[in-house]
Amino acid sequence: MLSRAASSLFWMARYLERAETQARLLDVSLTMALIDVPEDREEQLSVPLLVTGSRETFHELYPEITPQNLIDFLLLDDRHPASVFSVIRSARDNALHVRGNLSADVWESINLAWMELKELRHKGVTESTASRVFDWTRERSNVFRGAAYGTLLRNDAFHFLLLGTFIERADATARVLNIRHHMATKSLEGHPTQSFFEWTALLHSLAAFEAYQNTYGHNIEPMNVAELLILKPDVPRSLHACLEEIADLLEQIESGEARRARRLATSLYANIRYGDREYIAERGLNEYLTDFLQRIQRIAGQIQKDYMGWKQ
Amino acid sequence: MVMLIQTPPEGIYDELFDQNNRVRPSCRMLEDWLIRSDEALLAEKRREADVLFQRLGITFNVYGEDQGAERLIPFDLIPRVISASDWQRLQAGLRQRVHALNRFLFDIYHEFDIIRAGVISAEQVFANPQYQPGMQNLKLPRNLYSHIAGIDLIRHNDGDFYVLEDNLRCPSGVSYMLENRRMMMRLFPELFAKAPVAPVEHYPALLGETLRAASLNPNPTVVVLTPGRFNSAYFEHAFLARQMGIELVEGADLFVRRNKVYMKTTIGPQQVDVIYRRVDDDFLDPLAGNPDSMLGVPGLYAAYRTGNVVLANAMGTGVADDKAIYPFVPEMIRFYLGEEPILKNVPTWQGRKPKDLKYILDNLPDLVVKETQGAGGYGMLIGPKASKKELSHFRSLLQARPDNYIAQPTLSLSTCPTFVNEGVAPRHLDLRPFVLSGKKVQMVPGGLTRVALKEGSLVVNSSQGGGTKDTWVLEGEEC
Repeated sequence: MLSRAASSLFWMARYLERAETQARLLDVSLTMALIDVPEDREEQLSVPLLVTGSRETFHELYPEITPQNLIDFLLLDDRHPASVFSVIRSARDNALHVRGNLSADVWESINLAWMELKELRHKGVTESTASRVFDWTRERSNVFRGAAYGTLLRNDAFHFLLLGTFIERADATARVLNIRHHMATKSLEGHPTQSFFEWTALLHSLAAFEAYQNTYGHNIEPMNVAELLILKPDVPRSLHACLEEIADLLEQIESGEARRARRLATSLYANIRYGDREYIAERGLNEYLTDFLQRIQRIAGQIQKDYMGWKQ
Repeated sequence: MVMLIQTPPEGIYDELFDQNNRVRPSCRMLEDWLIRSDEALLAEKRREADVLFQRLGITFNVYGEDQGAERLIPFDLIPRVISASDWQRLQAGLRQRVHALNRFLFDIYHEFDIIRAGVISAEQVFANPQYQPGMQNLKLPRNLYSHIAGIDLIRHNDGDFYVLEDNLRCPSGVSYMLENRRMMMRLFPELFAKAPVAPVEHYPALLGETLRAASLNPNPTVVVLTPGRFNSAYFEHAFLARQMGIELVEGADLFVRRNKVYMKTTIGPQQVDVIYRRVDDDFLDPLAGNPDSMLGVPGLYAAYRTGNVVLANAMGTGVADDKAIYPFVPEMIRFYLGEEPILKNVPTWQGRKPKDLKYILDNLPDLVVKETQGAGGYGMLIGPKASKKELSHFRSLLQARPDNYIAQPTLSLSTCPTFVNEGVAPRHLDLRPFVLSGKKVQMVPGGLTRVALKEGSLVVNSSQGGGTKDTWVLEGEEC
């Protein structure tokens, strides 16, 4: 397939996944800010900014961290390239580029999301209506995935699209886990109820709360949380699940010559697949995840070079 | 409640009513449906259609408006009906005309028979800005130049069809023909259960067949080349590529090496044999045409000259659909095919002929004046509708550059009932069937019907506020 089309599909899917991550993160942070003691409120609210590395941009545009300012910045602000508004616009821009490769259902799911979002933005979103927008974002994301799985031909166009989804997801899981795990561990020193909420916030941010309870029961242990979100292959947002998909997809994508991205992904996948919690504990979660993030970004860069880069 | 259908003004051919305001036999079923509908239902269906078109993203960009401003072309719910016998004649006439035009293009780039025979002057061909001297003696598969032609027709008072214009470069609009049909079937399935409407859905298959036949390679790689998503017809380019299952490429996706064209794919370069290009001649290759063009492919022209790639349509077809050449098409048909033209031309006065120019200037308020290079309804004068100021402006334009203009009588385009603010009222329309030339000349029964939505208006162009309708060619004589 065309390199440009592969790149557009890859980015289209990344942006759509990013919209969902943003919505989940902000949803959880706003809820936590209500529960938290006042002095920790600002720290709660700034989690989405930390995870996406957008704290500086925020402070350039807004005087202080308030729920409404965060809603405006993370959902609707077109000056922020990672707001839900901006990423859905970018997703649609990319979708327009590859309309020829998309089924009518997939295209419509994205175009409709864009049309509805423009309407939402026009009306404005407040603290009391924000949860509806979070639900809406998750719903649109699910419709897109459903349309993609249900109607796309299983060819390289489909593979590049999924590759974008899983690269973005692996990246987001590692970032969220890194920051929220640190906060939750700190909270262990405080009130047990508060600490419980911190851990559930982490799990909810990655849609893994039910998965945790199914696997480990009600008692939340820091190392169990890390193990669940890194090593468990059956948790949809775990690093293991994402890397398995990425390695598998790169195996399936037709390649002209030896490809570096394939080698890098397979090697990272093997590290996780044969890793264990003792190794993570020994190395330290923060260091482990920082290393993972560097490697996943290298894989993403290498995918661009191997399949999408053409020097003029 | 019975819906009121306004009858047409006297002296105008109406597609639904005959001159005694009786419903034509081919339209009985349609009229029956219309009078039993009511305005509220039609309005609701129209809203539904608008939402669906928005969701599909069937929008176009209007030049001169904000970039990225996307608009819908208004879609009218009331179809335009063409009887089986009318279509038979149209089809024969279109085949004949496009065949002759392709012969003409071959001739003016090879033997110049028609010029030597004195049918058309050398100056009119060679001095035409659309003539591409570089195309001389270039051998093209099957000697085909215009693989895809869109012929604009109108129906005059006398009930006969006239060719208004031939579009032999990159005619657009076929996606509307297909989407309008899909929309009608979705909104009014019960109508199609009763009416014997000929299908048009196989157009992309025929187009694919035509494009593959354009190459001598038995299994060619075919692509659609688009200027990109800011082009007004981008939706159509993507639509056709998807329907044919081929790649939609932009100039930057292609490159030329050793006079062969390749596309940049995820597995490396892949050679391209046929380019269905929706980019104008001048922008195809910055090395040969407009050096500032970012839309084209450097070296494409050389590859084309070497015969390693086929362009559909060929370069240099514009000379044959130029308004200055148009008056000669009936003569071409006689000259190349030895047949009488089946479809009529609109009588045309040419500014370049002193006698004609005098006639034009003397009768300006009654005529339509067009630039020979103009398109899309820009740069034309409709005499009866023009103000004194516009008339005197065109008078001075004509005197300064008579060669640039032709004039035609103001034809009364036929009307068809259309759902507008005033209810169901007659509005003027035209017809653009799409003619495909490959191993043989083929077309699907139908075309794009464009309708002027303002009362009395004769301008059907979408850029000037025109709309579209579904076009029904009937398979039986009556219904």
